[in-house]
This record gives sequence, C-alpha cells and structure tokens, in this order.
Amino acid sequence: MLIIDCPYCGPRDQSEFSNGGEAHVKRPDGSAEIGDREWGEYVFIRANPKGIFYERWVHSHGCRKWFNCVRDTSTDEILKIYKIDEERPKLDSFKNNVKTPSGEPNLGSGNFTVKK
Amino acid sequence: MSDLNLTDNKFIQFHQKIGFKFDGVKYYGYKGDTIASALLRNNIKLIGRSFKYHRPRGFYTCGIEEPNALVQIISEYSEPNTRATIKKIYEGMEIESQNRWPSLETDIGSINNMFSPVFPAGFYYKTFMGPHKNFWKKIYEPIIRKAAGLGKPPKEFKAVSTHLYHNVDITIVGGGLNGLIAAKSLIDTKFSVLLIDFDDRLGGILNNSSKVQSVNNQTPMDWISETVKEIENSKNIKILRNTLVTTYNYINHLIAIEDKFVGSRPLKDKVNSTLHKIRTDQVILSNGHIERFLSFQNNDLPGIMLCSSFEKYMCRYGVIPSKETVVFSNNSNSESLVFSLIKKGFKPKAYIDSRSGENIEPDLFDLIRKNDIPLYTNSQIKGAYGNKKLQKILVEDSSGGVNEIKTDFLCLSGGINPDVHLFTQSKGLLDWDEKDLTYKPAQAFQPTITLGSASGQFDFNAINKEINEKLVVFGIKPVQIKLELNTSHKFKIEKLWEVLPQKQTIWSKSFIDLQNDVTTKDIRQAISEGFDRIEHLKRYTTNSMGTDQGKISSINALGIVSDLLDKKVNEVGTTIYRPPYAPLSFAAIAGRNSYEYYDPERKSPIHNWHISNGAVFEDVGQWKRPWYFPINKDETMNDAVQRESKNVRENAGVLDGSTLGKIEIKGKDALAFMNLIYTNSFSKMKPGTSRYALMLGEDGMVKDDGIICKISDEHFIATTTTGGAATVLGCMEEYAQTEWPNLNVYMNSITEQYATFNISGPKTRNIIEKVFPEVNFSNEAFPFMTFQFHEYEDTPIRILRASFTGEMGYEIYVPSNQALKIWEKIISFGKEFGLKPYGTETMHLLRAEKGYIIVGQDTDGSITPLDLGLDWMIGKSKKDFLGKRSLIRSDTVRKDRKQLVGILPTNKNEKLEEGQHIILDKEIKTPTPMLGHITSCYQSPTLGHNFALAVIKNGQSLIGTKAFASTPELKTIEVEIVEPIFYDKENTKLAS
Repeated sequence: MLIIDCPYCGPRDQSEFSNGGEAHVKRPDGSAEIGDREWGEYVFIRANPKGIFYERWVHSHGCRKWFNCVRDTSTDEILKIYKIDEERPKLDSFKNNVKTPSGEPNLGSGNFTVKK
Repeated sequence: MSDLNLTDNKFIQFHQKIGFKFDGVKYYGYKGDTIASALLRNNIKLIGRSFKYHRPRGFYTCGIEEPNALVQIISEYSEPNTRATIKKIYEGMEIESQNRWPSLETDIGSINNMFSPVFPAGFYYKTFMGPHKNFWKKIYEPIIRKAAGLGKPPKEFKAVSTHLYHNVDITIVGGGLNGLIAAKSLIDTKFSVLLIDFDDRLGGILNNSSKVQSVNNQTPMDWISETVKEIENSKNIKILRNTLVTTYNYINHLIAIEDKFVGSRPLKDKVNSTLHKIRTDQVILSNGHIERFLSFQNNDLPGIMLCSSFEKYMCRYGVIPSKETVVFSNNSNSESLVFSLIKKGFKPKAYIDSRSGENIEPDLFDLIRKNDIPLYTNSQIKGAYGNKKLQKILVEDSSGGVNEIKTDFLCLSGGINPDVHLFTQSKGLLDWDEKDLTYKPAQAFQPTITLGSASGQFDFNAINKEINEKLVVFGIKPVQIKLELNTSHKFKIEKLWEVLPQKQTIWSKSFIDLQNDVTTKDIRQAISEGFDRIEHLKRYTTNSMGTDQGKISSINALGIVSDLLDKKVNEVGTTIYRPPYAPLSFAAIAGRNSYEYYDPERKSPIHNWHISNGAVFEDVGQWKRPWYFPINKDETMNDAVQRESKNVRENAGVLDGSTLGKIEIKGKDALAFMNLIYTNSFSKMKPGTSRYALMLGEDGMVKDDGIICKISDEHFIATTTTGGAATVLGCMEEYAQTEWPNLNVYMNSITEQYATFNISGPKTRNIIEKVFPEVNFSNEAFPFMTFQFHEYEDTPIRILRASFTGEMGYEIYVPSNQALKIWEKIISFGKEFGLKPYGTETMHLLRAEKGYIIVGQDTDGSITPLDLGLDWMIGKSKKDFLGKRSLIRSDTVRKDRKQLVGILPTNKNEKLEEGQHIILDKEIKTPTPMLGHITSCYQSPTLGHNFALAVIKNGQSLIGTKAFASTPELKTIEVEIVEPIFYDKENTKLAS
C-alpha cells in the first residue's frame, strides 16, 4: 500500500486513489486525417516499463483531481508528483539504479529483492 | 491433580481451575493455560493425525511455529486449524482433534501409512491423470479432499471484527528483552511508539527460559514488571498485547491482529478481534528467533519436542511434559533446558550431542558430569520407535556402537533461526551465516531496524552495544543493561541436518516437514527428478507449505538440498516468505465489511413506500429497485409483469426512476464539452429541449446512454444509466481535467438530490393535468422531448416529456425530501384512471417492445452505435467526440459485425430465452457456426407471444430471413429475424 501525496490534499493512503495508466499520452486531434495506426496506438497501446514510469492518478475518494506521478515500478518508489498542467520532469533528473532484469539470483527467488 | 505441575510457576494461576472438553472427555487446566499446556498436564501427548499418512502426532513446539497440534474449537463456531500451543483455554471450551476417523486413537486413515511407499513426492500429479479428464473432478478429488487435510470448515459463522488505524513514528515488533530495552530507551522522547507483542505477558525469553538469571541485579520478572510499568506510564508509548504482526508491507505498513478474548469465551456481538493497520516511520523488529528440528527416522512420534519449547512449558506454563526426557542437540541452545531440568530436580535421562566433548560448552559439560547424566558426545539419534508414542531411541555413539535408550520423551534442537519472515516480507535481503548456520538479515529495504536474535545477534553480551549503535538515529541516551546469565552467552553450533537410519527400508520415514508429511526421501527423489530449484522443489514436494510455512524445518530442507547438490546454502537460496506470518481469519480481514455492510445499499427516497406496497426488489448496482409489485402472495413475477405491462399500455403506470444517474454540467464551455463527450450534436438544440444521447469509449463502443436536457449553452443536465452514473461522471472529470483543461466546465452528481417519477400510458395526460393543474400539458405547449421548470407547493420541480415505454409519458424530477408527497399525490390522483406502480421488469419488457436498448444488456462493450442502427445519433458534422475516429477503424466498418435485430418465433407458442444462440441450421451439427445470441427476451401481453432482441452477425441484412435458436437440450426453435421494434413503429403514441 502506497502513500500518495495528492498535490491538493496532501499524503493519503493508496485506497483513496485510482490509477489512470500512462501519463503524457497525447490524444490525437479528432480530425479524420489520422491514420489507423496512429489512432490505434493511442487507443490500445500503453507502455509498461520496469523502472521509471510516468503515470496518472486520480484522488477518486477525495478531491477528484487528476495529477501525474513518476514511480519506479520495480521498487514502487514514488519519485515525483506534479499537477496535470506542470511540465513533465526529465528522465535524467531521477537516479535510476535499477538494472533490468534487476539482479535476481540465479537460484531461488526468496532472497530476491531489488537493491536500491 | 497432576504431578506434572510445577506449582511454583508465577504465570499459571493454580487456584483457578478450568474445565474444558477435548474429543468429548472433560479435563481440567488452570487459568493461563493454553490447550497444549493443559492437555500435557493431563498427560495427553497425542493431539492429531498427520495430513497425508494419518500418523499419530503430538505437540512439537510451544508456540506459533507448531506444525502438528491443530485443533477445531467447537465452542467458537467450530473454528478449524487453531494452534493448540497458543490458544488459551476457558471454562466450557470444547475442542476436537482433526483429520481422524472414527477417533484419534483408532484412525482408519492411518492405513495410508501402510501404503506410503506408493505415495511419493508428486504422487497426485503423477497418479490422478487418467483414464478420463473427469476422473479428477468427480472421483479422485472428492475422496482425497476427505481423507487428506486439515479441519472442517465452520458451518455457521458470525464474524465480529473491527479495524483500527495507527499512525506512529516507531513500531517495535516483539516485546522480549530487546524490545523492552528499546521501548524503555524511548520513554518520554518526542516519538510516538507502538510496542506489539503476541503474548499477554511481555518479556519473551526472560519468561520462557532460565537463560537469564538477573537483569540490572533484579530478577527477570521484577525487571519486566518494573519496565512495563514505566512504559505504560509514559505518554508516548502504547503497548498492544495478544497482537500478532502478520504482514509487513511497502512504506512501513504493518498489519497486526489482536485477539480480544484471550482465555475467555468470545462474546456474541462483541468485537472478537481487531485488525490493526499501522503506518510507521521506523520499524524495530525484535521478534526473536525460532528453534529448528532435526531429521531422523520417525522424528514425528508423539513425545518428541523442541528443547526450547519443553523449557517454555516448564518456565512459562508450569508444566513438565515428561519427568524423564532425553536431550539431543547439535548446538548450545539446549544448555538452558538442561539447566532448568536440573534446577527443578528432573535431570535428563541422557544427553546426546553431535558435537565432540571439547566443543560442548564447558559449563554444560560440567553440569552433566556433576549430575551423573549419561553423556553421548559425537553421537546421533538413528531413530525413534514406539506405538502412538515414543518408547525407545537408538543412539549411535562416537565409537559407532548403537545403544538403545528406553524413554517416553525426547527433546531436540537443530539450531536457531532469526525470525526473518517479517524482514523478508519488507523486501529486506538475507545472507547465510556459515558460522551460525542460518539466514540472517543483511540489508533492509525499508526503514527497518532488527535487534537481538531477530537480527541474528545471538550473543547476550553484545545487546548493549547493538542497541546503542542501532538506535542512535533516535538520539537516545546510551543504555547500559547488566545481565547475569545461567548459560553461556554465545551461540555455537555444528552442522547436522539429518541422521540417516541404521537400515534404509521403504518404511523408513524421516520427516522434513511435519505438517505436510514430507520426508527427506521425497526431497531426494524430487532432486533426482530434476526439481532442484528451491521454488520448484517446494511446490513439487509441498515442503514448507501449510499453516506453519515450515517455520521449524524450512532451513533444514535448504541444508539438505545444499548438501545433495554440493552447493553453498546461499547459492540454493530460500523460498520467499509471503504474508501473512501466520494464518488470520477472513473475518478479521473483512472487519465491518461483512454481511449487510459488505456493500452499501442505496435506496430511492421513497423506498419505504415500495416496502409497504409489497414491492419485490432487484439489485441494480448498489441500488435496491422495485422489481415488480405483486397484488398478493400468490401472484408470480410473470403474472405481475404481464398485468403491470398491460395496464401501462391500456391505462397508465408510474415507475420510480430515482436511481437513474443525474449529472449537472455548467460552465462557459459546457456546450463545447458536451459536444465532445456525447456522439450527438447539441449546438442547434433550443434551450428547454432534450435529446437521447450516446456516449462512446475511445474504441467507438457504446458506453452509456441517457437524456440530455439543455437549459442553456452553459448549463446541461444529463441522465445516465443507473449502474453507469459514477463511471460517466468519472469519465467527464477525466477528460475535463486531462484532455481539455482549457474548457471552462464543471460537473457534479445530483443523482441523490432528485427523485424521478416516470408516468406513462395513454391516460398520462389526464392524471398529470390533475396533479399539476397550473401546467399546460397540451401537445403544442409541451411537445415531446421538451422540459419545463415549475413550482409545486413551493417545491421547484422539473417535468420532462420523454418515454422509455413507447407510450406518451412524462418524467417528474422532484427534490428528494419532497418526493414522497408528490409520489403519493400521483398515485391517489391516478387511481380513477387506473394508474398503477410498475417495477423494473415491466419497464424492461415495455422498452424492448419498442426496441429501446439497455446498455449493458443489449450491448456488451463490443457494440458500436452503427451496430445498433443508431447512425442518426452521430453528429457527423462534429469535428471530434469521444470515439469518433474509431467508428471508421477497419474493425468497426467490417461488414459482418454483430448487429441488433428483433427475433420472433415462427410458431408463436414457442418460448425463447436470453442467451440462446442463433444458428442457421435446423439440425445442430458440431461445430455449427453461431451468428450471435439473444440479449433480451420477454412474453408480450400486447403481442400475445414471445419476442426477443438479439445481436447477430450481419443482422441488418438478414432481416426478413429465417434462422434457428438453439436450446441447451440441443433442440432448435425456428425464428424469424425482424426489425428490432415490435410496437408503434410509426411513433404516433409518443407524440399523442
């Protein structure tokens, strides 16, 4: 269970929020000139990286506001939260030490974790 | 009563006798006893039958790590799989043993033991494969389920549990020696602290063993009570007793379960357990260690117990399980047991150690010599023998000779493991310690501090140093605790995982997992079959599964595997420890979210009127909606619906539509926003008119529908389906905030602020004119699909002329608090015109006759507006709206898409059913191509026969042709494919 720092309400439990998938996906303009491929990618294709991920959250059981978040999906660490109209933070502003695949031992998974 | 009592014990109240029943026989224990300690007092050593072979089993431990002693508590809703070693007794408690039939002494299932050579590892996977795939489900599985397993699930059940939330700075898990010292050092600091212990007495090893003689020159008991008093008097530390931390989640989120009725019968309607959900900045794990066992032949016999557990029964529970016990060890942890036994005057019958004499602790060596205890060094137990209880053991001594020792009890120690379950749940890294032969916490992933034996620090003399080093982050004053010990301060161990038996026969059983009946032979076999990865091995053999998760044995399995594979234990790795640490009941997890509180019920403002008028309710999402209104007990749903529908078509009916979602949209750019959200164009609509509208997903599929009322370009009210209201509002918010933040628009739900009453039928106008005499309801003044605001006895109301039944109709929107008044007026004024309330089922029937769809019933997320024949609803001139571009995707313009059609049986007496497939052939040959299926089907009182809506491939071009509906009996019904409208095709009634 994450603690998410809503930019409007402050830190709250994850159960108050809903995840909205990848952030900064530009909705193509509605005119018909867009090709099937471009539109199809907007509708159906989303990134799912291991590591740093820009994603959207909504404080659905709170202020109902949408905002963006940068989370490391391999450690679940929230690196930054910013409002929807704020600039997307640059990838190299985050230290991403996680190697993909992330250093699991060859044998056994019990002792496996991601080294920060 | 029993000469096994140690009546100088301070924890057991020997003056308070408690009667309880075990397998129907009455026994007595004392206040403070667990089931195990009370039964041991009564010299009961057989407690259950094992999982697979039904072998007799006794108490192996004295705590949460117990693999064998699981019982069913009959007096507590027959709660199964309760650990007898921790559950405290109370007067009138009823307990039953598990997994035996007809009785614990004579168990038919133990015949499995005779067949054990045919039950190897992976037995089920290998054996129950054939001859037919149904054999598993119908024959093998039910039999195996009956014969193998744990307790029986409770029949009746009433959970009373609650959840509590904590936000603290520091949480200390485990109130033993280290936990108490840590808590004491934090008294009156700026930190808020929770100290959690599973026992009702804090102190841990100080209570459970005689290792420590004095703390700060006080007896351990005095020191504990003084320290606990200081902690309790502090302002910043709270103690939770009888509370087990089961889960250590990300961001220091702990879950702990507190038993509110320890040693007393849980009261009905009182909170039986509390689930604590704890957020904390720092976690201090001082939850100690767990002793492990050793594998040798028949190491599962009743009468074999771990050393520290035996000592705990003596020290903590005042009972000595046996007065003549043999001790077998490969490490120094057995020393304090020997000390305790001698101190109490029950010197061990023999002491066997796999270590050589010079490696045994000198104090222990002297103690044994001084008391003339037979000592076997460099020796191992080859096997234990007996019928339902231990009778003798065979010991191989240093010279290789085998000695037989008659004994009814054996204490074992195979080493100790830090209790790393919570640490690994928190994703901390472990490392194998080659000296102490165990996995120890190496690197924390979260703000976690491990203390004492939980951190693998087994040296009593290093306690001060460790605490002062690790707690320096809190800025505490250095602690200086002076300990005097009865035993050596350091832990020493020599490697021993398994003793091979004298003679290896197919009957030899040397267990590695007692709860799941896994033998060391199973491990060998699994490895020889290629299951040499530890996670595979665990699943294949079921080693370290079950309710105890191999707490006393999983490390032994790693040791054996590493020897077999000739690898270091660190290379073998461990299986992952997942939450929960120990089973917790679903009742505790559910808390208050159970039974009627599981999901909130939403009710219309006139719900009570429906109840008093005999409505039968239907669940629509969270809403309770009147389904139909039977006139008496005998009227069936079908009869009621036929009567109600006929009445609407002939006279008039009124439906409580209050559950429909209502969203108010306002703002300078409301018009532009609505044009983007819905398929329709609202630009040319005049204020005061309304429109049936569709909302699509970006994939072009119908998501919701409703009526949009335009009050002005800057103000709209939208209705949604009952179930879709929250989704539609959520979707509007999402697009308003994320895609078009430049639009000035705000929206809010007004679903619960307004009740909605739908009156429809040919006599509607007569009724509504009587209810609202000041309103002109003529066609010219109030045309179809318009709405007006009015005042009714100072109540602002909105009247919308619309219809979902095909008859002329009005929807009246009333503030919820005035709803009943107006509803009752409508009902009473309508009486003379034959007005009757109707429910959702009649509504469904009437709308289907008219060919109106229900989103979610006639559509399923794969239907476009074009598939429904609703092309006219698409604002083609609009540049953009949700899903517009998708309507010309290659998939959505496919010719053979499923499309909405009407279905009529050729023989009008035939009955169709929802879900039936429409096929082309009269004879069902498999595979037969399926065109689609019936989505709505009703018996129409107006038509006098069955009719249906269906989505079928290329349906619009098949109209006028014949097809067949298939039945589950593999028969077919000839049907006609028709236009999806059965009533008033010319729409004359709507505008009449």
